Amino acid sequence: MPPRRDNDKFIQADSDSDISVDDEDFSKSHKGKGKADVRRKRDVKGKGKAKDTQSYTWEASYTRSWETVQEDEAGSLQSSVDDWMARGRRRRLLEPSTAIRRTIIRHLILLLDLSTSMMDRDMRPTRFDLMLQVVREFVAEWFDQNPLGQIGVVGMRAGIGERIGEMSGNPQEVLKCIADRHKLEPTGEPSLQNSIEMARSSMSHLPTHSSREIIIIFGSLTTCDPGNIHETLDACVKAKIRISVVALAAEMKICRDLCDKTGGQFGVALNEGHFRDLLFELIPPPAQQAVSRGASRATNPSADLMMMGFPTRLPDTSPPSLCVCHSEVKSEGFLCPRCLAKVCDVPTDCDICGLMIVSSPHLARSYHHLFPVRAYDAVLSADEAASNSCHGCFRPFPPPPTGTTTTSEGLSPLGRYRCPDCKNDFCSECDVFVHDVIHCCPGCGQ
Amino acid sequence: MDDARGSHLSVLIDLSPTQWHNSAQGPPRNTYPLPLNSFLSQLLAFLNSHIASKHENTLAVFGAFPGKSVMLYSTIDPTNHDQAIDANSYPPFRLVDSTIVTRITEELEALGEPEEEAPSSLVSALIKALCYVNRVTLPSVSTTNNPADGHDPAILPDPRILVLSVSPDLSTSYIPIMNAIFSAQKLKVTIDVCQIYGPDTIFLQQAAHLTGGSYIFLERRDALLQYLIMSFLSPPSIRKILSVPTQDKVDFRAACFCHKNIVDIGFVCSVCLSIFCQPVPVCSTCRTKFPMKTLQRLNASRPLLSSSTSNASRTSPSTPQARTPTALGADTGASTTNGARSSTAPLGGLPHSGSIGNGTPRAANINGSRPGPEAR
Repeated sequence: MPPRRDNDKFIQADSDSDISVDDEDFSKSHKGKGKADVRRKRDVKGKGKAKDTQSYTWEASYTRSWETVQEDEAGSLQSSVDDWMARGRRRRLLEPSTAIRRTIIRHLILLLDLSTSMMDRDMRPTRFDLMLQVVREFVAEWFDQNPLGQIGVVGMRAGIGERIGEMSGNPQEVLKCIADRHKLEPTGEPSLQNSIEMARSSMSHLPTHSSREIIIIFGSLTTCDPGNIHETLDACVKAKIRISVVALAAEMKICRDLCDKTGGQFGVALNEGHFRDLLFELIPPPAQQAVSRGASRATNPSADLMMMGFPTRLPDTSPPSLCVCHSEVKSEGFLCPRCLAKVCDVPTDCDICGLMIVSSPHLARSYHHLFPVRAYDAVLSADEAASNSCHGCFRPFPPPPTGTTTTSEGLSPLGRYRCPDCKNDFCSECDVFVHDVIHCCPGCGQ
Repeated sequence: MDDARGSHLSVLIDLSPTQWHNSAQGPPRNTYPLPLNSFLSQLLAFLNSHIASKHENTLAVFGAFPGKSVMLYSTIDPTNHDQAIDANSYPPFRLVDSTIVTRITEELEALGEPEEEAPSSLVSALIKALCYVNRVTLPSVSTTNNPADGHDPAILPDPRILVLSVSPDLSTSYIPIMNAIFSAQKLKVTIDVCQIYGPDTIFLQQAAHLTGGSYIFLERRDALLQYLIMSFLSPPSIRKILSVPTQDKVDFRAACFCHKNIVDIGFVCSVCLSIFCQPVPVCSTCRTKFPMKTLQRLNASRPLLSSSTSNASRTSPSTPQARTPTALGADTGASTTNGARSSTAPLGGLPHSGSIGNGTPRAANINGSRPGPEAR
């Protein structure tokens, strides 16, 4: 996640300072000129700001994102869009091609506060709606960075913990269970203990390699528990569950304790943007957790060779047999490749032989980081043109433009991008699609 | 059941000459021979019925030739073939049929007679099909530049890809196939697989399983058209009602990075998740050095593992079928006998230390429960 500029946050603050009024006039007078003008203007603006408001550095970080989009002579936004794409391409070229270190398997339970306090309107539109919106973004981003991870969702409402989504490694499934706003309508009091217990029990079967985490989004100032929550806390510490809390209202002692004792992070959201930032800080894999866990069994805690088994999945129609994890008669399940015992779900440790069982697609999800596609070169001159349609999607290339067009770096005037390895031409859509989604060149793919 | 919208079907045809030659052989080799021409006539009937079932349905056909993949036909890019008016045929069907047959003939003739046939480039065709789906589902700017394109970008066809494969798994294509599967998931594309000839392919099985499609291993190959129409004609949205045959058994094995063997027990680097078929001191992908202790521990249990992995790789084509009865039979037995044994094994400890502890009983277990492939 790139650092986010939070425009909404600063609009109010800026509108009553006279500097911003000056600025607005300044930019209006220059509006609608070429790109070079824009760049110059930005420089001037930056300098002016630095001079005028040296004491207010927070004001300097504020840029008007909508002003960087400029219409071209014909009044179309196409040139801005192209420019934006070109910038994306260049950023890709700058990316390092080294492997990224990741925690192996993360398991996370999201505890969502669905009590009546979530209907407060101190955050727009309501705490509840904001939470759903931010959590959706969070889930998408989390799965992107933690390909082997799994997320389950538990809601706190009417004094009980309510399982909203089973632990799943598929972002679509997790998003689906928090998609329907009406099913999650907040009611009653929240119960921290009940829901933490529920989250803890659903993570009890997980393999020892994985991290177990709970993220609580808490809007209430009370909790309605059936027993002593400190016992639950001790149980979590024992189970090595890391609890992080993002509070929407104010700091509560018990929330702070939960985080401190389990090694999690605690934060109180000041506003909408800060809430998002706090939650997104929890996306990268926790570093110190991996060290403390690995130190006990290896000299080099961050790297180890692990033995893993890739199971066979039995269909629903196979003859039922007992599973080793619950001793229930079931048709579906996974067979451990070493001892052929049947387990209900992967990833897990085999109960019989202790082999770590993962499905290979889980591992494969992160391989595109290891073997990235080389960036395509923009084809600049027309005489190089070989084929008349894109090698990926077979879209015919547009005819070469007549006259001189101003092009920025990394952008082909012909709309052709050539793979340096297989020398095939691709259209810009395929270029973006191949590098961002497929991670595999259609021409070089065997 | 989306009323007004059609569905998009991309068909991938594996056109490996060797495999099709083998497929056409008579009874001693195949009980039900299926030559390419009879396959094509059945396929064209299927394609025509896809077009006929709804006016909005779109179609794209890709061919995977040895070392090359091409688009044979697409509804969006009309090929201006000179059509002789034939009173006995419906023009759209005729257009599809003649285009596909002509293109296949052209490509096969262009192949010539290479000494060694390159493996069929099914993955490249799959990636191109995904690019194409990306193009039709994305209301892009460039469609406005293309006046010949009569397609309305607002219509989002329910996309699916049907792979008609005749080749065995190619372990070098593991990573591209996996990447293609994940992008298909992102695009919400269903991948259906029909293995017409040759052994089960575990990568395509995984593709169908992970994208919610169906994988069918053709037993009666003379009844291809019936299989196609019964299982693959209906769009994914109404398959739940029709109860289309789903997957039998999915094999989640992977190919190792070092020898491209297909392994069921692998050694995985914790930094980059590369898979190796034997313990290595340094990860070949990310250059991470592994601690000696781990290596010694893993090497201690190595002899038995190497035998099991080589075993699996050698019998890999037939293993999925061969293991089915033995695995199921041995399953309950193994779990009960091992249940008693597991009480002696350290429970709740680190899995690695546990796995050294009961190394010998496990060896007995593997040998005992895996006579299937060997006996066959």
